[in-house]
Amino acid sequence: MTGVREVARETFVISLAAPPVAASVRPGQFVMLGLNPGPLLRRPFSVYRAEGDLIEVILKPVGSGTRLLLASGAVSCVGPLGHGFSLDPAGGPVALVSGGLGVAAMPLAARAARSLGLRVAWVHGARTADELCAEWEGEEVVWATDDGSRGFHGTAVGAVPSVSMQVLACGPNRMLAAVADRWPEAQVALETYMGCGTGVCLGCAVPLARGGYDRACSEGPVYRAADVLWERLPTHLHYEASA
Amino acid sequence: MIVGGIELRGPVMAASGTFGYGTEVPLLDRRKLGGMVSKGIFLRPRPGTPPARIVETPAGMLNAIGLQGPGVESLVRDYAPLWAGWEFPVLVNVNGESAEEYGELAARLDGVAGVAGLEINVSCPNVDAGGMYFGNDPRAAAAVTEAVRRRTRLPVWVKLTPAVTDIGVIARAVEGAGADALTCINTLVGMSIDLHTLKPRLSFRTGGLSGPAIRPIALHLAHQAARAVKIPVVGVGGIASAQDALEFLVAGCRAVQVGTATFVDPQAIARIHDGITEFCSKRDYASADEIPRYLPRD
Repeated sequence: MTGVREVARETFVISLAAPPVAASVRPGQFVMLGLNPGPLLRRPFSVYRAEGDLIEVILKPVGSGTRLLLASGAVSCVGPLGHGFSLDPAGGPVALVSGGLGVAAMPLAARAARSLGLRVAWVHGARTADELCAEWEGEEVVWATDDGSRGFHGTAVGAVPSVSMQVLACGPNRMLAAVADRWPEAQVALETYMGCGTGVCLGCAVPLARGGYDRACSEGPVYRAADVLWERLPTHLHYEASA
Repeated sequence: MIVGGIELRGPVMAASGTFGYGTEVPLLDRRKLGGMVSKGIFLRPRPGTPPARIVETPAGMLNAIGLQGPGVESLVRDYAPLWAGWEFPVLVNVNGESAEEYGELAARLDGVAGVAGLEINVSCPNVDAGGMYFGNDPRAAAAVTEAVRRRTRLPVWVKLTPAVTDIGVIARAVEGAGADALTCINTLVGMSIDLHTLKPRLSFRTGGLSGPAIRPIALHLAHQAARAVKIPVVGVGGIASAQDALEFLVAGCRAVQVGTATFVDPQAIARIHDGITEFCSKRDYASADEIPRYLPRD
């Protein structure tokens, strides 16, 4: 681990030297980080940025695992994993809609969109002004807070300008269900429990609208919003009580 | 080395449900893989249980996947042809809701190129019918084993559940019914409650506990089974290092399977294989089969 910076209250970006990941990661992909000694299972993290030999991930030290991660010098990293966002070069401007830690998936997406010459509207929400991630990228930024302490009073979904755009979203599953209601064609990056991240444990099941399940780690974590059976997807993940 | 009718390439195998159908885990050096057991399969496709399916526990994890799988037709069509070209043997983990269904599945896999053997799962804790309920009754376990034995010429291994009073009784019953080897053990049934929702964390309510948390129990039960039968025992349960694997070999196992450790470290099997090789060369054992077993008979 080569650096830590605070980007919102109790929210940190850590940089890791991971040259193969940095060289090949695409927007919306993730890594599995593990500690030994530490919790048994690795934890999934979206890659926030990648530059040279370094990658960055964003975390809130909510559970014992993430607290240990923040305090440790070396972590073990497997990745990049999963299928990320795909941008349509002819699809018009892009809205990057994130809530809370969902901002983690957005900087790489912004960079990819701008490299295609697409205009980026960065829409980011959090509970309060001091929980908003201060870093953003794009042609336009819209802030939203649940308590109205900065920007739009409400969720990031409500704050998105009503013009036709390609919508890419990441945040709590409840927020993504609202994204699906408003833009069925949006691409959403889901959060699930994950065991392995490599496709073998089948723990990260995503219920599909057409029936059955597939794996967030392999077919996902990015889905067409209308393809997910939102009422069957757990809305709240609690890692903190474990290990 | 030949174990229970299967020519293994080494003593370390991938356990069922932790290696998919062998097409994942690209990071593993497969030259070190002794063999693999497929994800459990039924005759028909099964969607599996709704999320949440896994939860971490101290030194382990609970899973309730519900034997999600494509069914035997897809397995024979999509995966077996790949396996036929691989240099390590693939056993298929077979499941059913009745002895007849196990037998039917065995018949469908008999003679299929790429299928080296069957591992009968009479120990899955995450299905409503069958599974573990065959594995904790010696007569039911023997009946399933016989039903499979009658319908196939393939080697038949039987994976036992730890949820029994005396594993030796079950081990002898399935040996008598024609099993070629035993896999000891499947997961233990466990539970975890979410204090935010005041409900079980797993949608299936309970799940199978795996990982280092169960290793001493697995070691003891594999040892007890090995003492009870003449057919080989393959040890599985929380093995994460070569030392762990060597304990199972010394306790009477011919080979081991690695499961949850692969989730954490995709290269765990190769690492364990190398550690066993190093141990053998330090002690001048030509192979893992030469490691002296601690196996007192009653």
